[in-house]
Amino acid sequence: MTKPLSIRNLVKNFGGLTATDDISFDLNEGQSTGLIGPNGAGKTTIFSQIMGEYRQTSGTIELNGTEISKLSTPARIRLGVSRTYQVPRPFAEFTVLENVRVGLMPDSIWKMITESPNVDREIELALSVGFSESDLRRTPDELSMGDLRKLEMARTMATNPRIMLLDEVFAGLTVGEIDQIAKLIQKMRSENMTFLIVSHDLKALEPLVDDAIAINYGKVIAQGSFASVISDKAVRTSYLGT
Amino acid sequence: MGLGLRWYHFALWAGFILVMALMPEFVSKGTLRTMIFANFLAIFAISWDVLSGRTGYISFGHPFLIGIGAYTTAILTKRFDVPVEYAIPAAIAMTMVGGTIMFLPALRIKGSYFALVSLAFMELIYQLVQVIRPDLTGGTRGMSGIVTLTRGAANGYYLSFSLMIIVALSMWLLMRTRLGTALSAIAMNEESVKGSGLSPTKLKLFAFMTSAFVAGLGGAFYVHYLGSIAPRALFDINFVFTIIVATLIGGASTIVGPMFGAFFLTFLLEYLRPFLPGAERYLIYGAIALLLYMYQPKGLYHIFMSQLDRFKKKGDDD
Amino acid sequence: MLEIIIQGVLLSGLYALIAVGFTLIFSVGRVLNLAYGAYIMVAGYIYFYFSQLLGLPPIAGLLLAGILGACMGLLKYNLIVKPLKADHIAVEISTLILAVVLQSAVILCFGNSAKILLPIIPGVIHIGNATVTYNVLVATIASWLILIGLYLFIKRTHVGRAMMAVSMDTKGASISGVDIDKINMITWGISGFLGAIAGVFFASYTQLSPTMWVAPLIIAIAIVIVGGIGSIIGTLVVAHIIGFMEIISVALISPQLRGVFTMLLIILVLVIRPKGLFGREEL
Repeated sequence: MTKPLSIRNLVKNFGGLTATDDISFDLNEGQSTGLIGPNGAGKTTIFSQIMGEYRQTSGTIELNGTEISKLSTPARIRLGVSRTYQVPRPFAEFTVLENVRVGLMPDSIWKMITESPNVDREIELALSVGFSESDLRRTPDELSMGDLRKLEMARTMATNPRIMLLDEVFAGLTVGEIDQIAKLIQKMRSENMTFLIVSHDLKALEPLVDDAIAINYGKVIAQGSFASVISDKAVRTSYLGT
Repeated sequence: MGLGLRWYHFALWAGFILVMALMPEFVSKGTLRTMIFANFLAIFAISWDVLSGRTGYISFGHPFLIGIGAYTTAILTKRFDVPVEYAIPAAIAMTMVGGTIMFLPALRIKGSYFALVSLAFMELIYQLVQVIRPDLTGGTRGMSGIVTLTRGAANGYYLSFSLMIIVALSMWLLMRTRLGTALSAIAMNEESVKGSGLSPTKLKLFAFMTSAFVAGLGGAFYVHYLGSIAPRALFDINFVFTIIVATLIGGASTIVGPMFGAFFLTFLLEYLRPFLPGAERYLIYGAIALLLYMYQPKGLYHIFMSQLDRFKKKGDDD
Repeated sequence: MLEIIIQGVLLSGLYALIAVGFTLIFSVGRVLNLAYGAYIMVAGYIYFYFSQLLGLPPIAGLLLAGILGACMGLLKYNLIVKPLKADHIAVEISTLILAVVLQSAVILCFGNSAKILLPIIPGVIHIGNATVTYNVLVATIASWLILIGLYLFIKRTHVGRAMMAVSMDTKGASISGVDIDKINMITWGISGFLGAIAGVFFASYTQLSPTMWVAPLIIAIAIVIVGGIGSIIGTLVVAHIIGFMEIISVALISPQLRGVFTMLLIILVLVIRPKGLFGREEL
């Protein structure tokens, strides 16, 4: 069975800086993996390379067995991988619903013209991430950071991915909001969604993942079950800095 | 198609068309001629709006496209005796080729640079038509004695209005589909559009093609209305300015905005003509445009709609 | 041949001066000033008014034009650019509208027809078999002096280095304590001044007309695109490339094709190397 995501010997150099230093790992279908590490360890850079925002210096990335390094970002999304961004980037003049609408659109001009928006689905997605009915027609400037993160989540789900890369999706959320997103993730897990989740909030992360990968200075320093990774000495050192 | 059409959309459009169709009964020949210009300006403004108003790729060289349409049909009909029925479609096709050429820089560069390049395109074609095969293009002086399609103010009005209303309606409807949403999204955040699984390249190409189609259509018919073509007036920054201001004052990306903006502007210029016969009119008109734009960059359409919203809200409160 | 080299050097110096004011705004302020060409035009007319109509000495006219140019720059920054802040599209369009308004104002005051400026310094000099007017020679020398002065200013003075910092990274510069607003004001002032001086020289090189602002603007654009932003030396080099290209095409091919190769060069550079030949960053 081909794995949803397979990364081999990924290297990314930015001039003199090696942001990604020979990283390899796989994701199995329906598996949820936590990606942890201190700030600047290179977690977001990995996401960017998977999505095609950066071209890796060397190494391979396979999505369901297909090498995707030559594909554009939209092409990769259509193949089933999608991500949220640490700094939300919604469409500033669109309402919540319209923001989701863009994510739901097929990449075909003909279809865009001839088919109507699926407003029911837009509402369904927006409500599922925790928006209330009255929020649906708000624009990003009227939303809190927590709401903006929810919007990121909804937009990512709209592209109908099979693998979701979540980048600090809990940051800035209230306990209640975290709970809501966590429930959503659990529901998607039960529907066999594959996750790679970056989060500093280890407590929130723990119930959502099957295993974890710890990164520092662009290298994998521990891999395995969540409990074993967070009790790993090297990992604790990387977080505490001694 | 999800156009969200309501009864009042139909009513407003029908009413507008009716009023405009009856115009020749009520107004003088002179006013009709002014309205013909307004119709053509509306076509050009709408074609600019579809591209620059929607996607945010501001073009300062739109006459490049209009000119290709105009010159193609002029050369074909006057130099090669091609019948108008073939020359005009050929002109539109050529303009779309020009649109593709203009699109290529937009692949690699963003925002301000694209604006500069589009200006350079217009300058380039201005110089080229004067220098390359002036026997065909008429060189610096341009051409005259080109076949005209209509005779008389009323007929010219009906033709120009029919064209304008077809263009306006079709573009208005097109932009109300999800395509319009996608194009607007490009203006807001092109990276995010990619992140939503859509290819901005395809969308931009479509916008360029559509804009070129309408520009070519307008340019070709305009030449066959005037019966002449003059590069100095056509490839002129004042013309760019007129198109852009008409669109902005009306309200960018709304299609209806540019249409009304074109009429507003044409009549403003005409009204000022007896007082300020020369290019000084542009001074007043430019000053008004600048102040209006700085006060509300979204244009009259937005001012109108937000007043309407406020009025509706008041009604709800009662 | 000598003629070509001389004319090329002279023209390029002028072009460099024209381009530098424009590039400064673009790299420091990140803003496209389409009314830059209008500074050039207005300055030419101001010089014309003071020196030819009122009879003031040329230096006075030149300085007055320069000062007025600087004021125009400051006014524009404060009245238009600052209020519109981050909305680049709005700034581009506003500067375009402003340019047309200025053009109409000039027509209103001075009429539509082109005027010939009397040379700033009359007389000619013969180099080899080429005839060069003192006017153009002085313009080129002055351009070089100003450019060298500007280069030293940027590299050696505190303000100049602050300007470079802002052009590289606005956020970083402001965190380091640079007053972005003040730097922008200074930049717009300098740009206006340079544009004005360039305008007077340009007007004496060609002629004075209300539509004369488009051509120098296109040249400045070409130099910015081909040269890239962030380097005065780059601007100088590219100004010479374009200047020589024009002279050569006029002398050897056809006078009417003067600007065409410049346009084609822009397009070529954009396709092959969008950063520009000396550019520091992607567009």
